[in-house]
Amino acid sequence: MARIIVVTSGKGGVGKTTSSAAIGLGLALKGNKVVLIDFDIGLRNLDLIMGCERRVVYDFVNVINGEATLNQALIKDKRVSSLSVLPASQTRDKDALNKENVGKVLEELGKSYDFIVCDSPAGIEAGAMMALYYADEAIVTTNPEVSSVRDSDRILGMLASRSRRAELGLEPIKEHLLLTRYSPKRVAEGEMLSVEDVEDILSIPLLGVIPESQAVLKASNAGEPVILDTDSDAGQAYQDVVDRLLGDTVDFRFLVAEKKGIFSRMFGG
Amino acid sequence: MAFASIEFKGSSFTLSVLQLKTSLLVDIRADLTKKIAQAPDFFYLVPLVINIEKINDSIDYQAVKLLIEELNFTFVGFTGSVDKEQRQLIRELGFSFVNTARASTTNGTSKKTTAAVVVEKAEKIDSAPQRQLYTDKVHRGQIRSGQQIYAKNQNLVVIGSVSAGAEVIADGNIHVYGALRGRAIAGATGHIHAQIYCQNLEAELVSINGNYWLSESMEDHWGSPAHINLTDNELTSAKLI
Repeated sequence: MARIIVVTSGKGGVGKTTSSAAIGLGLALKGNKVVLIDFDIGLRNLDLIMGCERRVVYDFVNVINGEATLNQALIKDKRVSSLSVLPASQTRDKDALNKENVGKVLEELGKSYDFIVCDSPAGIEAGAMMALYYADEAIVTTNPEVSSVRDSDRILGMLASRSRRAELGLEPIKEHLLLTRYSPKRVAEGEMLSVEDVEDILSIPLLGVIPESQAVLKASNAGEPVILDTDSDAGQAYQDVVDRLLGDTVDFRFLVAEKKGIFSRMFGG
Repeated sequence: MAFASIEFKGSSFTLSVLQLKTSLLVDIRADLTKKIAQAPDFFYLVPLVINIEKINDSIDYQAVKLLIEELNFTFVGFTGSVDKEQRQLIRELGFSFVNTARASTTNGTSKKTTAAVVVEKAEKIDSAPQRQLYTDKVHRGQIRSGQQIYAKNQNLVVIGSVSAGAEVIADGNIHVYGALRGRAIAGATGHIHAQIYCQNLEAELVSINGNYWLSESMEDHWGSPAHINLTDNELTSAKLI
């Protein structure tokens, strides 16, 4: 049975799609069969980050409405054959999805994939609820600032009350905290919440801390998930996240500001 | 001459009358204490008039006043059909002597009624569910932003934190075994003895019996374990441990 993981946040622009793409690709690179689903109907982004936007023929809504089969809509990744993307529709809105049909699609996908990664839209409305409804696990993506933390808290409340698991009284959704755009330097200067602050407020287990990095923007624009940039700190941090999801114990990195070396100090690097 | 800021008016009130049958303060204290224990809420700060007409020997008026105030009544004055001299003495001692239609008519039956009414009222309260005996509604786990928990006719015990943007409400007391960052409303349907306890006070708002504080009023115990209660209709906070 596939693990259904929703990447959610409440607040927009915190890095849900970037994280979905990186984690999905990372899991596939480890030999798992992974499908990435874009639940952000009407604001199709995942295909751009994955670099497959020119190959979209059918989308999630077509599948839901029975206008296309899953196989027609799924886009196989050119880098890793065990990864597929189910893109969102750009022309429809979030009401195009309904619980019953989404459930059927997920069930169908569950037969042939190990991981189903659902990239949630922002907000707490129908679209976000649809993305989290069937989840087994949730990666709550949070920036180290108060409004993002507050929204994540709200979403955690939804996960605990509005999901299928909550409604059926099953074991609750497994929650993971993913802190993105983390800048140890700004934390030290008191401008940003620290990992400890966020953990204290949300009190859910920490899955990973992704440092603020130029590599992320570069990767997004190139359509190459940042996890492929193995030289970048963000890429390495996502790799750690993938390893932790697969059950490994990996020490947390990039939590303290790097001390400048003697040369960079001398030359003002 | 009319005053802009004040105006005197006459009005009638129903006051509880405590009929003393002995001048022995020890006995009075013992019986009163037992009576209060049956319904502490009912008697708390109740205005009380002391009827002394059954007392034949001398009585220490000052001591009587102190005793009933110590037992958390609000002392109003003395009453009873007593002779002029005694009345005069009471006034000279600085206490008010309350004349009632009933007491001044020296009508035995109506006096009995007054005393009986008090007893009857107290009895009624005894049989009603006592506020102190609220049961607990226990919530395990964090209460997240946007969630609201209401303990109707109960105390609320939260084993976990209350997030900013969350709201906990109880008709009784609220206990938070964690950080209180959201809103806590105790004594929601009117209960002056309701209390709020938390292990870390960082609340957006706390309220007891309709009196509320915003964060800025909580500076004294901000970020530490705190106990909030209502004293003389004012919220007060104290260190919990």
